[in-house]
Formats: sequence, C-alpha cells, structure tokens
Amino acid sequence: MADLSLKANHSLRYYALGEQAITVVFADHIDPDISHKIRQAEIVLSNHPFSGMLTTVAAYTTLSIYYDPFILKSRQTIDAKDIQEWIFDYFISLMDRVNENTQAAANILSIPVCYGGEYGPDLDIVAAHTGLNSEEVIAQHTSQTYLVYMMGFMPGFPYLGGLRPSLATPRKTTPRNLVTQGSVGIAGEQTGVYPLDSPGGWQLIGRTPLRLFDPKSEKPILLQSGQQVRFERLEHSLFDTYQNDHYGNKTS
Amino acid sequence: MEIKLHKPGPFSTIQDLGRFDFLSSGVPQSGAMDSLSARLANAALANKAEAAVIEFTYAQAEIEIRSDMLLAYSGKGAVFLDEEQTILPANRPLAVQKGTRLKLIPDGMGCRTYLAAPGGWDIPLIMGSRSTYLPAEIGGVNGRLLQTDDILRAAKWEDKQQSLFDYLQHSKRTHPQWAIKPMWQATSGTQVIRFLRGPEAGWFSEESLLQLISSTFEVDRNSNRMGYVLQGNSFQKIKDQELLSTAVLPGTIQVPGNGQPILLMADCQTTGGYPRIAQVAAVDLPRCGQLKPGDRICFQEISLREAENLYLEQERHYQQMRRSINLKYEI
Repeated sequence: MADLSLKANHSLRYYALGEQAITVVFADHIDPDISHKIRQAEIVLSNHPFSGMLTTVAAYTTLSIYYDPFILKSRQTIDAKDIQEWIFDYFISLMDRVNENTQAAANILSIPVCYGGEYGPDLDIVAAHTGLNSEEVIAQHTSQTYLVYMMGFMPGFPYLGGLRPSLATPRKTTPRNLVTQGSVGIAGEQTGVYPLDSPGGWQLIGRTPLRLFDPKSEKPILLQSGQQVRFERLEHSLFDTYQNDHYGNKTS
Repeated sequence: MEIKLHKPGPFSTIQDLGRFDFLSSGVPQSGAMDSLSARLANAALANKAEAAVIEFTYAQAEIEIRSDMLLAYSGKGAVFLDEEQTILPANRPLAVQKGTRLKLIPDGMGCRTYLAAPGGWDIPLIMGSRSTYLPAEIGGVNGRLLQTDDILRAAKWEDKQQSLFDYLQHSKRTHPQWAIKPMWQATSGTQVIRFLRGPEAGWFSEESLLQLISSTFEVDRNSNRMGYVLQGNSFQKIKDQELLSTAVLPGTIQVPGNGQPILLMADCQTTGGYPRIAQVAAVDLPRCGQLKPGDRICFQEISLREAENLYLEQERHYQQMRRSINLKYEI
C-alpha cells in the first residue's frame, strides 16, 4: 500500500505520481525564491533530458517530471532500486553538476491595461468592497510588481503573487458565462489575466490588448514562471491601436 | 487521397498522442482518449504512432472516399459499413475505392473509434501537436469539431502502402488476411479499473479508501474530454489541509469539496488544487477513454510496481506487434 516513496536529499523529496511521473517537492509553502529555484531546475532539466523524459510541469512548490518507463528502461540501465529513484538521483546529480546561467527574464514585463468601463465592468464593485474609489484601486493595482509563481488553469494563465491585501475582493457569487480574453481580474487575494475567452467568476477591473496566448506566434505563451510583471494604465481610446500595432489590423 | 465528411457524427475531432511541450505553461496535453486504439489504427497502416487520426465519439458518421486509398480503424463501440451493409473489419488495412460511402454504426460497448490514413491526416502542427483542444481553439481543423463537408487528406502515401494497396486491388480484396489482435476486449457490465493510491490518499479515512474499492461508480452525464464526474460514494477528507496547486494528469482522480470524485481525462488542466485520492494505472486509461455516461466502474488497487510491470508488458507487446506488421508491408 505504501507506494508513496518519500526520500530526503538536499532538502528535496519526491513521490511517484502514477507510474509515468514523479514529483519533486522543493518546499511546503509559497515563496518567490522557491519558485525561482524550480524554474531554474526546470530549464536545466529540459536542456539535459534523460531518455524517455516527456516533459515537466512546474507548480508553486513542486516540479513534476513526466516520462515513458518503457523508453527509459529500454535505453538506460537502471542501477538504482527502481525507476523513480533513478530519475530522482539523475535530477539531483544534474542539479549538482550543472551550473548554468538560467536567470529567468530579469526585466519586468509591462502589461498595458484599460481599467473600468466596458473593459473592467467590476471596477466599481471592487472599489465599493475595498472602500477605495476607482482611481485608488487603479493606482494600487499599478503600483506593485507581481511575480508569476506558476502557470496553469488554462493555457498561458499566470498565478500572480503580489496583490495588495487592501484590494482583495471575493469572487462573484454567480460566474459569468463569458469573460473576454485579456480581462484582468481580482479573486480573493489574487490577481490575474484571462488568456482565453472562458467562463469565470473573477471581478473584472480592466482588460489588456496584450495576448498572453497566441498559438500561431513563435512564442505562443507570453509569460513563464519566474517572470515579473507590472500593470500599466492605458487610455481606453488606445486599446484598438495597441492591438493593431502589435498584431496587425485583424480581429481575433 | 482524401475523404469528405457527409455526416461528421456528434463529436468528432482530430487527435494524436498529445501536446507535451507546453504543459508547464498550462496547455493541456489532449490527444486520443483511447490512445491505445489510436495507436492500433496507425499500426495497421505502418504509420508512425503519433500520426493524426480522427476520433469519432459515438457513431452516426458518414464519409465519402474521394480517391482510391488505404484506411484503417480501431476502437470500440462502432463499425464501418459500406453501401452493401458489409462490415469492414477493424484493426487491419482496408483498400477502399473512390466513390465509396462508409457509415459508422454503433455495435455495443465503447464509444470512440479512430480512423487512420496513410502518413496520418494532413493537419498542421500547432505547438508541437495536431490534437484538437476545443477550449483554446487549437489543433485539428481550425481548432474546432469536424463538420459536414470537411475534406481531409492523407499526408503521405508511402511506397510500401501503395504496394499493399496494389496487391489488394489486384487480388480483388478489400483487406489482407492478417489483422491486429486487439490488446483488450470490451466486456459488458461493470468495468474493473486498476489504480494506484494518489499522493493525498492519506487525507481520506480508511473507510473512504475502502469504499473506493468496494463500491461501484457511475459515469455522470456531466462528463467530457476533460474528465468524468463519478457518481456513487462521496469522500470527505479528514485532514484539514488545503493543497497548493500542483501537477495533475489524465488518470488522476481528484476529490473536490463536494466529495464527488472526478476522473481527469485527456483535456484536463495541467495543475489542480484538489486532493488526488488515486491515479488510474496507465494500462487501464485507454479503457476509461471508452466509457460513456451511465457506464459503471469499480476500482481495484494495485501497487506502483505492478502498474509499471503491466505497462512495460503492454509496450513490449505493442512493439512486437508493430515489428511484425512492418514486416508484412515489406513483403
């Protein structure tokens, strides 16, 4: 029954996530340094994959490594007790051995946002809930630098840390059937951007003309974990102009 | 070499074995729900395993063959009939003539059928895969369901495929004598699905875990390519702890706050925050891909080592089968 083999090494441990993935656990709490470490480890590992490695998934405190045990076993002598231990050992020795400059994008990415009005229909709700006026909400939202802790939930969606607690507002009791792509919202103590049209319950305070998910471009996903971002106010009249300048004169 | 869809069927998409390059950016892996049947359809044509196939859900599709070509299909729950109502056998190459119309008709257990063409269907790669992921409108034919009048082309007619076609044509046969033996049989009644304990299994009481293996569950109507809601016992966690969002994958069984377990499938999110009570064994996931609302399953626990050995055995068998089919194409 006890297949959750946990092993301590370098303060890291791991567990099997089924027979085709292991999850390396870096910490048990959210921490910007941990996010950074996980991102670095992910880059190094993807530059030095083992036979049969399929992909990796980085999260708040974990890096999961997906693999095909058949390919791994047919191309590699497994000298460890089992496949999971072999992968973990490979990962640890790689981290010890490789000292690559994997600095995540050091620059802070600026995300232009048209706040309020048709772009941010819930700005007044957030203002009413927080006891601020809408100008103050915008000022506070644009005053912070946010960190992308991880990606998930939908393609290109960043889990951002750094929202001022004074802006925290609960989700809508009834989610919207359609939230337009680019919408910037607040849900509890989180803020985020919808990369796709989708249903959603976040309080929408604005919208960015920037595409977080652009499947046909060379870089289909704009953000990655470890990236720092700021929101910058954009005049409503410039939304279309910005989009045309960046993506050509076509609707999408 | 092309076909035209006269009736697309209720839910048909292009799939391959999945999109793995952007999981860490939140892009689901997608791919065939019954990946084993998708691989068998391709194997029958000596295609690469990752060639694009059509995934038909349920039946009621109708296609017109627009030029002489080879096709192969695999899966459960439906068969192709020609205009004379003759069943075209699954799991082997089929030589079909220009002008033929084929109908996909339900025949029992299962609900997904995979249709392969020489070299795969000619579909552009998007982010490393041809799989359709509808919520983001990517992959397949413009990121959408297949629809009436869609025309699909085979990517590449290789010499060996041409020779097999010519041979069949010459001997006035629609298919060779050999066929791939399906790697599992569809059975009626409750399906037994094997699983491993999930990382948060310990968050649930022993009674809960006992219920997981001793009771049956029904696939709810509220089920799709992202996952199946399982009706039956509900589970309450005994540990007062919240999970920080972390990786989930097809086959993960997670338990949200209402206690109703969800079996994640091909289009599932890449990360989740609900406790993961179990992980379906990789060898049984393709069978899950054939389940439909109302089907019943019961779970059987196996160890990590058993699951791994079952998978290794399946893959050895699959590789052997591919090698022997490739030999048949070289004669």
